Amino acid sequence: MTPSIPPRFPAQPATRVLLPLAFFLVFVALAIAQTGALQAQTPEPAYSESQAQGIDRMIMCPVCPAETIDQAQVEISFQMRQVVRDMLTQGSSRDEILDFFVERYGKDILAAPPKSGANLVAWLLPVGGVAAALVAVFFIIRSMTRKEPVLATLRPVQDPDLIPYLQLVDRHLDMTRGGARPIGTSNQPGHGVESSGTGTRSTEENG
Amino acid sequence: MSDLGAISLWIALALAAYSTVGSVAGKLRLSPALIESSQSAMYVAGLALLVATFSLVIAFISRDFEIAYVAAHSDLAMADRFTWVAFYAGNEGSLLYISTILAIMSAIAIWRAPEKLKDALPYTTAVLMLTLTFFVAVMAVMANPFDKLPFVPIDGEGINPLLTHFGMFFHPPALMAGLIGITVPFAFAIGSLLAGKTGDEWVDAGRVWGMISWVLLAAGLLLGSWWAYTILGWGGFWFWDPVENAAFMPWLGLTAFIHSIMVQKRRGMFRMWNIVLINMAFGLALYGMFMNRGGSVPSVHSFGASQLGWIFLLFLAVGVVVPFAIFIWRYPLLKSAQNLDSMLSREAAFLVNNLLLLAIAFVTLWGTVYPLLSRLTSDQEITVARPFYDQVNGPLMLGLVFLMGVGPLIPWRKAGINSLRKSLLPPITGGLLTVGILAALGLHKDYALIGFGLSAFVTTGILMEWYRGTRSRHRSSGENYATAFLRLIMANRPRYGGYIVHLSVVMVTLGIVGTSFFGVQRDVVLSPGESTTINDYELTYLGTVETPKSNRTEFASTVQIRRDGKLLETIRTKRVFYPSFNMAATSAAIRSTPVEDLYIVPSENLPDGSVGFRILVNPLIWWMWVAGPVMLLGTVIALWPQKIRAPAPVPSPQRFAPGPRPSAA
Repeated sequence: MTPSIPPRFPAQPATRVLLPLAFFLVFVALAIAQTGALQAQTPEPAYSESQAQGIDRMIMCPVCPAETIDQAQVEISFQMRQVVRDMLTQGSSRDEILDFFVERYGKDILAAPPKSGANLVAWLLPVGGVAAALVAVFFIIRSMTRKEPVLATLRPVQDPDLIPYLQLVDRHLDMTRGGARPIGTSNQPGHGVESSGTGTRSTEENG
Repeated sequence: MSDLGAISLWIALALAAYSTVGSVAGKLRLSPALIESSQSAMYVAGLALLVATFSLVIAFISRDFEIAYVAAHSDLAMADRFTWVAFYAGNEGSLLYISTILAIMSAIAIWRAPEKLKDALPYTTAVLMLTLTFFVAVMAVMANPFDKLPFVPIDGEGINPLLTHFGMFFHPPALMAGLIGITVPFAFAIGSLLAGKTGDEWVDAGRVWGMISWVLLAAGLLLGSWWAYTILGWGGFWFWDPVENAAFMPWLGLTAFIHSIMVQKRRGMFRMWNIVLINMAFGLALYGMFMNRGGSVPSVHSFGASQLGWIFLLFLAVGVVVPFAIFIWRYPLLKSAQNLDSMLSREAAFLVNNLLLLAIAFVTLWGTVYPLLSRLTSDQEITVARPFYDQVNGPLMLGLVFLMGVGPLIPWRKAGINSLRKSLLPPITGGLLTVGILAALGLHKDYALIGFGLSAFVTTGILMEWYRGTRSRHRSSGENYATAFLRLIMANRPRYGGYIVHLSVVMVTLGIVGTSFFGVQRDVVLSPGESTTINDYELTYLGTVETPKSNRTEFASTVQIRRDGKLLETIRTKRVFYPSFNMAATSAAIRSTPVEDLYIVPSENLPDGSVGFRILVNPLIWWMWVAGPVMLLGTVIALWPQKIRAPAPVPSPQRFAPGPRPSAA
């Protein structure tokens, strides 16, 4: 999808011949008149505007805080945008243009670290970190689920008739532990109580 | 009036410090009287800060230029309504605002705290008031908004023109309130830890206050994007600017927290993890305020640069290290009451969701610090800006959208393959169908296809849940569909409010995908009467009216928009030049429709009357701005207090059996 809209030619046969002819004549006339201005007047530019904008977005504006030349509304960014287009017209590639600006202003003119050399770290570290974290979470989840067989034997909530009784036990335990519960022992009474306690809680909240 | 403000500041400082020390001492020496007096001190500190706020407002309205802050951020030409904005235009006022909000939130949080947290409240109060003491102390000593000039200037310097925008009335205050608001859930967590209450007592309060901060941050971020879109004049809304990032990271941390706290609420799991998460969010929030107020990194937000940075950095270090130490100390108490049952469970989905959110935060942090690292390791500094974040965070965000569709459809504990197939089939069909149709229509950008497909996937899942719930209500109670739908939502507010928030995130996704992949942009210079085209629009520039004002010159340019030869609209763009700031504020003329925005902004006025326009077509961005109110609505529903019903006496066994979740009845 390019922003430059192709000119619409009317469908009449006469114009189909005449219009290119006219263009050609204008072209020749202009070429004779001023060879220098030729490139600016070429009807079909050698680049697409979106390509130029892609390059604009890779180049920081040297005088404004944290803006690319695509965004910045200052004179130098207008000029730099023009340089990008001039170089594209002369057939420079994206990399050549970026190199040109790096030579002039230093590497920090680029909006992102180059994907080469030491700066590859900038790209690889997050990717590697996320991948490692995903693997870690996988193993954490697996180790958490491994304990299931132990739990399964201690899950008494399946029997509805037991619930009031278990609640009573919980309340009783809370009362005896409640007042001055010594720090560091609350995980001691064992999984049975803990899991039945949670069982009753889910009961309340699922209701 | 200004003296009253200055005095109130010092009173607030003394009260906050007393409240910090008093509540800890009262708790340790078992003196209820001391605890109570510390709480009262907290309430009065809030009142004192309100008085200070009020006197600064009066000083602005009366243009009391003897006060340095008022002289620096307003002038006689400023309209009175901008007092609200000028108030926080610099560090001094921002600190006063932040402190006042923290004091008010603390007072409400402690006053409304549930009974079961009573034991932990003195410590919670102490954490809140310690934070308040820090902010008020920094303000009173280093950035006092009531400092006076040795003379009284005739006129002030005026308000930064970029701030005189409607979005600025809400964006900074919402963000600052959101950032400081994280202190409240954090204080509940740390208070409970200190008191040895390591169970689930703090979960409800933590969740409510976490969500309040979350929605404030979300609103702040969206409004900031909207402000950037309408006034910065380059047609985009998000640039991964260091300060944007600094506000975005705590939001990510909080998003992880408000999801994972639900797991603790429902299943008694992730106890340690939730405390780690809220610690991280708090650390990131402090970092956010440090970035915003310290001005160590160049950014479009460098409104209030100052030397405060290092003090903030110190507090940031303390705010991260001390809670972590407390966490290690209490680690043995923080055992989960439950274990995971299966990889295919909502708990596991939430863990992966947390991972992705933190990964995005980590990438963002990495991008923010990489320039500093590169300066240390080589002589050349490397810039990390938008192209980096787009490429690294983009895929992570798509993964998050995917999980947003899966998570709500997987049951707690353990999902059976059959039930999963049944609940995931419609959304997957919806997603694939969307991809197929769009591809058939000639859309061949992979990322965009994935983005739209995932959006459809999530939306279908939510609509299906709503439909199933509504239908079962309709069948069981005979309510008509509308009533059944409303009652369904009201019956399980955290869940269905969350769905509405998810829908708003889908809307934001649509906006981002639409503009990133299908936006068209042109820069043209037009003389009066000249025309240009973009997509199927034809634009004719008619002319510019130049109006000199006391402190600025306004250029209003009129542009006609035609499509297929038919006049759609005549719109007016504005560019205002402020000689004293050598700065222009542009306001784009936007023809906004749900399909696409036509965005016209004048970037320069040439002497011969011609104007340099930047013209964009931004597809689907409308949805992004509409998402804000939807998100707010969803959060309000999710937070709306529900009458506590008596626990069901006997649970039906199938509630725990693997299988489709019973639709909330």
